[in-house]
Amino acid sequence: MIYIDKYAYISKLKHQDPIYKLVFCMMTLGVCLWANSIIISIIALLIMGWHTVCKGGIPCAIFMKLMIIPMSFLAIGVLTVGINVSDKKDIFLFYISVFDINAGVTQSGIQNAAHLFFKALGAVSCLYYLSLNTPMVDILQALGRLRVPKLFIELMSLIYRFIFVLLETVEMMLTAQKSRMGYSGISSGYRSLAALASTLFIRAYKRSDELYTSLEARGYDGELNALHESYKKGWIQYTSPITVNLILIAMTLIIRHFTGGLM
Amino acid sequence: MDVNIIETRKLHYEYTDGTNALIDVNIGIRKGKTTAVLGGNGAGKSTLFLNFNGIHKPSSGEVLFKGRSVAYSRSALKELRRSVGIVFQDPDNQLFSASVYQDISFGAINLKLPVEEVQRRVDLAMKRTGIEHLKNKPTHCLSHGQKKRAALAGVLVMEPEVLVLDEPTAGLDPMGVSEIMELLKDVQKELGLTIVFSTHDIDIVPLYCDYAYVMDQGRVIMDGSPKEVFSKPELLRKIHLRLPRIAHLMEILENKDDFEFKDKAITIAEARRELKMWRESMK
Repeated sequence: MIYIDKYAYISKLKHQDPIYKLVFCMMTLGVCLWANSIIISIIALLIMGWHTVCKGGIPCAIFMKLMIIPMSFLAIGVLTVGINVSDKKDIFLFYISVFDINAGVTQSGIQNAAHLFFKALGAVSCLYYLSLNTPMVDILQALGRLRVPKLFIELMSLIYRFIFVLLETVEMMLTAQKSRMGYSGISSGYRSLAALASTLFIRAYKRSDELYTSLEARGYDGELNALHESYKKGWIQYTSPITVNLILIAMTLIIRHFTGGLM
Repeated sequence: MDVNIIETRKLHYEYTDGTNALIDVNIGIRKGKTTAVLGGNGAGKSTLFLNFNGIHKPSSGEVLFKGRSVAYSRSALKELRRSVGIVFQDPDNQLFSASVYQDISFGAINLKLPVEEVQRRVDLAMKRTGIEHLKNKPTHCLSHGQKKRAALAGVLVMEPEVLVLDEPTAGLDPMGVSEIMELLKDVQKELGLTIVFSTHDIDIVPLYCDYAYVMDQGRVIMDGSPKEVFSKPELLRKIHLRLPRIAHLMEILENKDDFEFKDKAITIAEARRELKMWRESMK
């Protein structure tokens, strides 16, 4: 997660309007899920990969590595979809039988599994496009402009800011405990972990108190207002994502017409 | 004549748990000058500062700003906090936003200024604190020194009359210390700011301060120019403080090695002058 965050700040697409990126991501994601087609999913994956790697300047290896992360979840998901249980044997392409029950893979099972697999990959690539090219701050700002309630956005921004402080604190405390043999055995490990968790909670509470004081000193009156970066506005910039998605939709319809949903 | 911009009279402050954090504190902060508040840990320095801008309300006694007793109404407090800016010790407690730029703009936005003015002030504050290049960096990627500067910029945008800094040099490397002190001096000269800061770093006091208060266990036990304060080393040592290193050296030379100095030197320049004079007198 921290790596994604780091890359978002060095992406060449950082200065693009976050709403544009949000719209592009969500639209393509929607089309990808609706189309339920292997070809469309692969195209979406390629488009997002191209944007992230070629236009955003994110190293290709990083993008690939991140795409592998959901693989393990996907593998399990795909297996459960792909394998069916039935008492009839003739529907299976291949199967194993235990007593009277046959478990195996059917034609439609493989098809479902493949669809699911690529659909998920395509969808994940859309989200990676957004998160690798848009710093969290910009996403929050975009949400604000899209009239998401302020309370949510302020909460999200504070959580985002202090995740790093919290992680730093945990790391320091963990190192301190380790250097005093805090995790040398199972029982001492549990004890150390409990101490770490409770201290962390108290620290966080104290810190929130101090944060409130310092905000008050700067004229806090209930809203975390800040100056936002301005972006080039206008509807014209939305023509390219809309065109791309219209083409994707048209392709889906054509593919469905010719293959009957096979691909 | 010196005018006190902030004054406290018989200021008492008691925490809700019954701890007396401040006891009968009477101090005056001179306008346009730099005042240091010295004291060991838990002496009440931070609590005193929070009384300056109305975050804490005195249990008894009063705080005066520009000769007028502070009113604790909403609007009066807002005005007071605009005029008295506090930079806190741990910048992680002050920087609430993941974006440096947004964090710095917070105080100015709260003043309900027009957007152009906010932009101007934010840019200026970043320039003054030398962090323009960090504009697009996320807060969590900054070093401690950079965070301190960002926190300072976040207060400077409000263009306060009094800048209060809690341990501005804590956790900085020697270079960082002199850089931030020089920076404060420049800003002070440019804006005619009044600066108040607390510190453990005794050596910077004679270099940058016009006046010093020494606190111990909630009381002010000594005040005066750095020279006056450092002329009573026994008292300072009793409350876990010390002389500046140079002053200590000069004290040893005078007491143990029979040097004779006309004046008590507390900075390197002064010590150099004294030693040169001593050499001349030996010839």
